[in-house]
Amino acid sequence: MDERLLEILEDIQPEVDFETCTTLIDDHYLDSLSIISLVAELEEEFDITIPTVEIIPDNFNSAEKMWEMITRLSEED
Amino acid sequence: MFSIVTYFSVEALLLLLVTALLYACLPQKLRRWVLLLASYIFFYSISGKLLAYLLFSTLSVHHIGLWLADVQNECAAQTKGLARDERKALNAVYQKKQRKIMGFACFIHIGLLVLLKYTPFFSENINTLLKLAGSSFKLQIPKYLIPIGISFYTLQAVAYLFDVYRKKIPADRNLMRLALFMSFFPQLMEGPICRYSDTAVALYDAPKMRYDNFVLGSQRILFGLMKKLVIADRLNLLIQNVYAEPNKYDGFIIALSAVGYTFQLYADFSGTMDLVIGAAQMFGITLPENFKRPFFSATISEFWKRWHITLGTWFKDYIFFPVSMSKPMKKLTTQARKKLGNHYGPLIAGAVSLFCVWICNGLWHGAGWNYIFFGMYHFALILGGNIAEPVVIKITQKLHINRASFPYRCIQIARTFILVCFGELFFRAEGLKSGIKMFCKIFTDFTFASLKSGSLFKCGMDRQDYIIIIVSAILLFVIGILQEKGIQIRNSIAKKNIAVQFAVYYALILFIIIFGAYGAGYVPLDPIYAGF
Amino acid sequence: MIYVKRIFTFIMFVLGLVGLLIGSSYIFLPKSNEKNSGMEEFKANGILGEKANSIDILFIGDSELYSSVIPLQLWDEKGYTSYNCGTSGQTLDYTAVMLNRTFEKQSPKIVVLEAHAIYRKFTVKNVLFTKTADYFSVFRYHNRWKTMKIQEMNKPAEYTFTDECKGYRFSTKVKASENAKTHMKPSDKSAPIEKLNRQSVLKIKKFCDEKGAKLILVSTPSTKCWNYMRHNGIEAFAKELQCEYIDMNLMKKEIPIDWDKDTRDKGDHLNYFGAKKVTSYLSEYLESTALLTDKRGNPDYEKWDLALNEFNKMLKEQHV
Repeated sequence: MDERLLEILEDIQPEVDFETCTTLIDDHYLDSLSIISLVAELEEEFDITIPTVEIIPDNFNSAEKMWEMITRLSEED
Repeated sequence: MFSIVTYFSVEALLLLLVTALLYACLPQKLRRWVLLLASYIFFYSISGKLLAYLLFSTLSVHHIGLWLADVQNECAAQTKGLARDERKALNAVYQKKQRKIMGFACFIHIGLLVLLKYTPFFSENINTLLKLAGSSFKLQIPKYLIPIGISFYTLQAVAYLFDVYRKKIPADRNLMRLALFMSFFPQLMEGPICRYSDTAVALYDAPKMRYDNFVLGSQRILFGLMKKLVIADRLNLLIQNVYAEPNKYDGFIIALSAVGYTFQLYADFSGTMDLVIGAAQMFGITLPENFKRPFFSATISEFWKRWHITLGTWFKDYIFFPVSMSKPMKKLTTQARKKLGNHYGPLIAGAVSLFCVWICNGLWHGAGWNYIFFGMYHFALILGGNIAEPVVIKITQKLHINRASFPYRCIQIARTFILVCFGELFFRAEGLKSGIKMFCKIFTDFTFASLKSGSLFKCGMDRQDYIIIIVSAILLFVIGILQEKGIQIRNSIAKKNIAVQFAVYYALILFIIIFGAYGAGYVPLDPIYAGF
Repeated sequence: MIYVKRIFTFIMFVLGLVGLLIGSSYIFLPKSNEKNSGMEEFKANGILGEKANSIDILFIGDSELYSSVIPLQLWDEKGYTSYNCGTSGQTLDYTAVMLNRTFEKQSPKIVVLEAHAIYRKFTVKNVLFTKTADYFSVFRYHNRWKTMKIQEMNKPAEYTFTDECKGYRFSTKVKASENAKTHMKPSDKSAPIEKLNRQSVLKIKKFCDEKGAKLILVSTPSTKCWNYMRHNGIEAFAKELQCEYIDMNLMKKEIPIDWDKDTRDKGDHLNYFGAKKVTSYLSEYLESTALLTDKRGNPDYEKWDLALNEFNKMLKEQHV
């Protein structure tokens, strides 16, 4: 996993342990506003575009899932 | 031909029973036809010839879906083996084409909904404006017959097309599967708003009827009947009086009926959902849940994740994120974040998207200023909550209040409930003016005199009516707590021995028969959400 | 095997449910036919408290009827025993229920059906409910949980109450009719009768035939509820049924209703003064059928004289 991703996440929501948590969305650790901020940040940092279709709980429930999505999107491009 | 007004009618239950019987007896290939036929009979018995609208929407969705698929396939074939830059350029061309198709699709489906539902409202308001401007010109106010469930199936149709457009699902070539998805009769009238990926395949597969599904489904139907007949219809005795002539009642009674209406709305809508989801379960179809104990919510935004869930997620997926993730918004967020920080940065884009969501949400419920007000009220509360959050956190930290503690949460829940009740007061009031008047009366004319003198028990509901409502509320509360703790009540009942099972069913049935508000002296409540 | 077991379970469940319904119906059934015991339509159901086989004429219909026929006047004038079983907004399915109930204890020679009920719409659902409620009275009386006392739960039901006016509802209010001039303007058209309503009347007719009672259709005067099209509809239907039809709205000579004074609500219902005229006509008409005997002076019917005295006393108190 990428350090940059964890940094971004901690920046957005400092109270959560992102390395272990797998229910970020389901347990409301990340709300819609955090997602907006997160997506903007990720796009800038990793030079990808995250289409709306990717914005589903499954892709954001854990840092690992997010990393999977990021790698997939940067390969696709 | 018989006609149906509500799911809670002998006719509707009879149709369900006959359909279930046929479904149980016939082979798989015919089962799906049974479902489709029952759905169209159901639609026809409510809206008659307006069935044409549903058929049109179904055909149109089918055709546009395939159209999108054709464009996507062509794009894939063309871009195959091309270099990255060329591929990107070509992709953009096809993307544009798809967007045009989507624009056309939205124009048709949303346009039809807007035309039927909102032209009277808009033309009335234009007339008022014209009058204010001193013009004698007046628009004719058209009156359309609105097919039942159009607000629900249109959202399903649009969601399907967007999902195809976003390549979340492949376009369906099978017209029948789409027709079933659009019209499945239990959910046709009041939702839940389903996604193609949730129900279409299961509906088309028409799984074999199973005994346990049948039992669990009928259990849930019974529970829904209880909510509707015992709670919603009984509360109607008070609510229809107070909302019809609020001037006659003091602030206490108005406050009471505002709480009563919130509870009635919950009982009516979630009771209908129990019936709908239970009926679908009989056929082995799992529909998405629409309610998750909304009154246990700590904040308004949590409330909307627990109340009419399928509508909320629809707005989130097809309005909130598309707006907030649009290019200009993303730019705005990135810049604002740098200047305003993590919390307030994304709030600007969020606020814009939230505004869109709540305007749509208000209007979706009906063409009227009180609905728009209702939407704006919740918009303001959610946005306000978000703006205040960092401040509140700081204050509570200073005061050494544990935000996760039980008493704090209770206070939050109570506050949220009160805010929701105020919102529903405007929602139910006969027009915005009346709503404001009632709201003011709660504060200016509040007295317990009617409770002391007993005149409270002469406003429609007598002492015994209140007792039954309170008993039922406690029952729902206890069940809610058990469910919050993750106990699956229906399953655990079904696992108990037969005597216990029978006793539970008998108790529930007798409770409905004895304490249900039906027969002489009662006017059943019209289904509230079918009107939206 | 599993199917057999499931079907068996299901049958057991239904049987148990029926048992519970019978039990709760017994508990919820009013233990007397008084208003205080929760009896529905207690005035009309006062007929259940009449002595067996003592009623010769049964009037049945809706509020039009209970406002316009005075059984005690019939007794006064001709010595005929009758009861007015009109109920507000009566639909024909309830008419059938009342007929069945009455004939269990009484054997009237004449049944008079007020025709306005024939035009009142009702649905198969109403019929189903009425039928179910007839077998399981808990559906009809479930609301009694509000007032029921524990002591009366398993008392046997005893129906001894009878209405002091024999079902007639007294009123001296006056509110003049506004459409008396155009009332009963001739028309060739005929108001159609719903299929379900036709069937119900046919059943009622058959029932009366079987019980040896003569069925007569009557339209009591009302400028609001009656018109020529309805007259035509019922006249044709009466022919088909082979029973007599009396339209009092057309009998301006025999029943001289003064629409300024004889109605209590702008021509919808008659008041006492109108009802007196209607009943006078009826007593002459009933005499002409030669089916009835004068029971005055018969010691078995002493109570009728008492009831009449009370009624007259009440009239005096009201200065009528």
